[in-house]
Parts: sequence; structure tokens; C-alpha cells
Amino acid sequence: MRILLVEDDTQTADYVRRGLGEEGHNVAVSGDGKDGLLNAMGEAWDLFIVDRMLPGLDGLSLVRSLRAAGDCTPVLFLTTMDGIDDRVDGLNAGGDDYLTKPFAFAELVARVAALGRRPPQARSEARLKIADLEIDLLSRRVRRAGHPVELQPQEYRLLEYLARHANQVVTRTMLLENVWDFHFDPRTNVVESHISRLRSKIDRGQEQELIHTVRGAGYCLRVPA
Amino acid sequence: MSKGEFFNRRTRIFRLSSFRLTLAYAGMFCLSFLVLFGLVYWYALRLVEAQIDTTVASEIAEIRANAGGAGIEGLRAAVDVMTDRAPGFYYLLQDDSGRALAGNLPAMMPLDGVQEMQAPLPPAHGHSAGLRGRGVVLPDEAAYLFVGLGTFELHELEEFVTRSFLWGMVATVLLALAGGSLISLRVLRKVEAVARTSRDIIGGDLARRLPVSGADDEFDRLATSLNAMLARIQDLMEDIRQVSSDIAHDLRTPITRLRQRLEYALRGAGSIEDMRLTMEEALAEIDSILATFGALLRIAQIESGARRSAFTRIDLSELMLRVAAAYEPVAAERGQTLAAAVPPGLAVHGDRALLTQLFANLIENAIQHSPDGAAIAVSAMAGGEALEIAVADNGPGIPEPFREKVFQRFFRLEESRTSDGNGLGLSLVAAIAALHEVPVLLEDNQPGLVVRLRFAASPRADEASGEAPSLALGRPRFAP
Repeated sequence: MRILLVEDDTQTADYVRRGLGEEGHNVAVSGDGKDGLLNAMGEAWDLFIVDRMLPGLDGLSLVRSLRAAGDCTPVLFLTTMDGIDDRVDGLNAGGDDYLTKPFAFAELVARVAALGRRPPQARSEARLKIADLEIDLLSRRVRRAGHPVELQPQEYRLLEYLARHANQVVTRTMLLENVWDFHFDPRTNVVESHISRLRSKIDRGQEQELIHTVRGAGYCLRVPA
Repeated sequence: MSKGEFFNRRTRIFRLSSFRLTLAYAGMFCLSFLVLFGLVYWYALRLVEAQIDTTVASEIAEIRANAGGAGIEGLRAAVDVMTDRAPGFYYLLQDDSGRALAGNLPAMMPLDGVQEMQAPLPPAHGHSAGLRGRGVVLPDEAAYLFVGLGTFELHELEEFVTRSFLWGMVATVLLALAGGSLISLRVLRKVEAVARTSRDIIGGDLARRLPVSGADDEFDRLATSLNAMLARIQDLMEDIRQVSSDIAHDLRTPITRLRQRLEYALRGAGSIEDMRLTMEEALAEIDSILATFGALLRIAQIESGARRSAFTRIDLSELMLRVAAAYEPVAAERGQTLAAAVPPGLAVHGDRALLTQLFANLIENAIQHSPDGAAIAVSAMAGGEALEIAVADNGPGIPEPFREKVFQRFFRLEESRTSDGNGLGLSLVAAIAALHEVPVLLEDNQPGLVVRLRFAASPRADEASGEAPSLALGRPRFAP
């Protein structure tokens, strides 16, 4: 993926560029807002990673300008501004995701991957199919190997989110935000308990396990290699 | 008091508003005094003059009566008699050729009416004197008769009134100045006491308070309000001090553990796998420190009250059921039951993200502090204007003396501080509840703990855009 990182702190920029480079991404860095906007408009990119507080032009204005110019490239805000309203502001300005510093690198990698593979326009699919797992998005019915699986509403939402990001790592935080609308870190293992229940309904007694734990990162729904 | 200071103090008095006010009053008083005096003076003189005129007129009438129509000779005899008999009176009878025939005045212009003139002889009292009288031309007798009276009394009256006026004026001004200074000095003393106390407080003595005289006057009321403000500020300062030292203490423990762990790994020269394990543990430790910082910042942010602008109408029933459902498997893993009895359609005015966190914290608290197999119940009830929600467990509960303390940052019932959690969960609950102006009540569930929150029911949608509630300063209230 060709990623433009707009970040004025050289240490962070270096760290992100090297880390994402190791993941196979091609990362260019702009050190201030105006430079970043010029670079962003000048070439085609797959993803922008933008700091909120930048010299020259702040991140929110940068993204607003991009969106006003009709640029639909996904934007991930990466910032120390972690107020509850800051996230809302970032998403309202046209950001697609919001990650606050300090962050775990696995978290950044997972979110970059999720944004990169996001379809350009939200396709309205009626069903998802991973191996012999079938999810009917309209009737919310789930079948594994042809047999219906009864899921609680939150289990269904969890499975749907995993399936929409099949073959990607989704982190605990991504699940908390998107499945439960929890914008804080619970002290108890909410995600783990639900994953465990979902596993017992989806994977138990099956030849192939589909829900995998990615150590130190999160979870992944995929057909094992 | 040094000379300079005395001078300073004196000039300060003149600049005091109370002194200026006194001066203004004194000026007004002098002016009204002046007007009053003027009126008295004028009326008194007019009265005396009128008396003189009456006396003189009756004298003339008496002379003419005594003359008895005997012509100019009769008048002459009558005037002679009067001149001898009445001291202080002046008489003149002259014929039409202007020759004085009788009396003790020299000849004059025969003018009808009232006249004032110098008295011809210096009176015995040694006062320069004038006289006032009336002249009548008598055509039948071909004579001119003038009778006058010394105006000595009139002048004396004038002088007396003027003198009393001057002394009165002096006394008034002196009294006003003295009174003004006295009042101003008292005000100055009180103002100086306030200034002195303020300086002491600026100097760091936060326990200082303004003196209250007990007179219950406006100064006392001002001092009482200022003292209340100072007490509040001192409380807040204490809180900040307490929190700062708590933060320092609570973060030193995990950082020390972290340091020991890293040092041990460095010395131990273990395998790569050991190193990896140590680093993972170190990362987890750092994450928990960061989480503590995050929670502290969040509490501070919530306490600043800025979030209230984001309040909307919230489906509390949906929110509670969603959070309860999220934690149901967590409780189940510990063999606990988590039951939710929430009627549909309950709405409140608030912040969705924060209320979600509030319920999550309460439920997590119940799960973490109750033993395996405990029963946790989340319930909501609408009653009239209020809406009460409760999270109850049958765990160990919180002993009465600690119920208020559990809302303080970093407070934990176990003194060792080794158990899970950072001691900020209930502080966050308290902050969110205070933001929503919702009292938090901790009660005995016999056994266990029940936490109750009483919301004001949300206004209906059509009046939802009404006034913003005032900022809540108080802490959450507790059950007695």
C-alpha cells in the first residue's frame, strides 16, 4: 500500500515508516500540514495517516481540504488528542478511523490493513461466506457446514464484524469500538469471553477452526492455511 | 506608624469613597443650611421693619390726635411733648417753607412715605445707627411731619443672625469632616484587614480567614461569603495536593516493578525466549500505567464539565441492556449470574459514551469484587419525575465508613493495592454522575452492595432544546 504519513515528530514518523515498511507498505512522510496537503493532492495514495497537531496546517483542516477537493482516500488520524470529543471531531472532519498515541504497533498495523481493504464504496452484500460458514446479512441467519447456528445479538455482531474483515487481524480495541460501542478499555475480559462463546458455537466440533487468536495483536477469521 | 505611613493613610482617606460621600453630604447640608438661613434672615428683617412701620404710624396718629385740629401750633406742642417723652424716637415738624419747627431732626425734603436715613446724633450705645420712619405732608396745617425709630435693634438682629449662621456653618463643616474621617477610618481598617488577609493567603497561608465582627453588617456578610469561597478554594487545593501525591505514589509502584523486571532480565542473561517474555510483561506493565494516566485525564476532562454540550436524549434501556449483555459472559466465566430487569423506553438526557462507561464500570466493579457464583442484578425503574437505576450484588459490600472514600481517586479497600484495577473506576463513576447531576447512593444490599443512581427523567423531545442545566460543583451525595 502507498501510504502518506503527515507527522511532525521525526521519531514517531521514523518508527511508523520503518514498522509499516516491514509490513510491506510503502510509506512517505511529510513533516508539516501544508507540505502534507500538497503531497496528498499531487499523487495517488491508498491511505493517509495524519497527526492532529501539525505545523503549517492542522490535521483536521488538512483532511477537510482533501474531502472538499473530492479526495476519498481513507484517512487514519494518529494523535495524542484523546479527548472524547476529539475522536468525534476527527471523524466528522472526514477521518475514517482514529487512533490515539501512545499506541501498540499491532493496533496500527491492523487498522491500516482494515482501512486499506475497505471497498471504495460500501457494497451492499447480502451474504458473506468463509469456507463453510455462511452469514445472511439481511435475515441475520448463520449456518456452519449447512447447519443453522443460534447466536445472541452481540455474538452475531461480533461474527459479522470478523467476517467483514476476514483474513485481517482485528484488535481488541477495534472490536470494543465497533461491536459494543465501548470507547474505553474495560478492566475485564469482555472481548475474550464473547470470542470464547462464539468459538464454542461456530468452531466446536468442526474440522476447520475459523476464529484464530493472533498473539499480541487480536483475532482473525480465516480459513487455516 | 511612621510619618510617611501616616501621610499615606491620610491621603488614602481622601481617596476613599466613603470619605468622598461624607464630604458630598456635608456640602449638601451646608447648602440647605444656607437656604434656611437666608429665609429666616429675610423674614426676620421684614418682620422688624413692619413692626417699626406700625409703631411709627401709630405715633403719627397719636401726634395728630393730640394736636386736636389746632393747626400747626397744636402739632408743634404735641411733637414737643413726644420728643421729651419717648427716647429712641425721632421727630420732625417743619412748615411748608422747609423750616424745622419742632423735634430732634434737622429739616429735610418733605417726602411722603417710608424713609431710611442716618441718625443725626451718635446714640449712647456707641453703635453707628440709622433710623427708619415715615413722613406725611399735612396740607391742612401746611406742615410736614416725620416720625422715625432707631434701627439699632434691626442691625443687632442682623448681626446676631449672621454670627449664628457663621458659627453654625463652621460647626457643621467640622462635624462633617470629623464624622467622615471617623467612618472612613473604620471602613479603611476593615478594608485593610481584607487586604492584609489576602496578602497572607497569597503568601501561602491558605488557612487564613477574614475577620467577622459579629455585627451582621454588610462587611460581615461580605467577609462570610469570601471566607466560604476561600474554604472552597482550600478544599480544591487540598484535593489537588492529595491527587498529585496519590499519582506519584501509585505510579511509582508499577514503575518500580517494571524497573526490577528489566534489570533482572538484563542481569540474568537468560535465553532469547526469556527476554521476550520479560519484554512482553514490561509492555503489559507500561500499558497499565498508560491506562491509569488515561483514566486520570478522562476524569479531569469530565470534571471540567465541557462534555455537557454534547448531551443528547439517550435510550437508557437500550444502553443498559447493551452493557449488561456485554458483561454477561464475563460474569458467567466466574460462575456469576448477571440479570437485567430493565423496562423498555426509559430515556435520559446525557452523554452516551460516558453513560456507557459508567454502567460498564459499575458492573465490572460488581463482577470483580464479588466472589465466584455471586448474583448480580441490574435494574431500572421509572417513578414519576425520577428514574432510578441500580446495580446490586451479594458480595462482601462496602463497610459503612468506607462508602464515601471509595469515590476518591486511587482508593481501594484492600490496602495492599496489589489487586486488579487502578482505584479509579468509582472515581470515574462519580465524575460522570456529577456531570449528569445524578446522585450516587451506596447502600447495603444485605449482603452485598447496591449502587443507586437517580436520574431526572429526560424532558420530552419537544422541550429537549431547553436551557442547559447549571454546572454541578458538588460531589456525589451518599446515603446516610
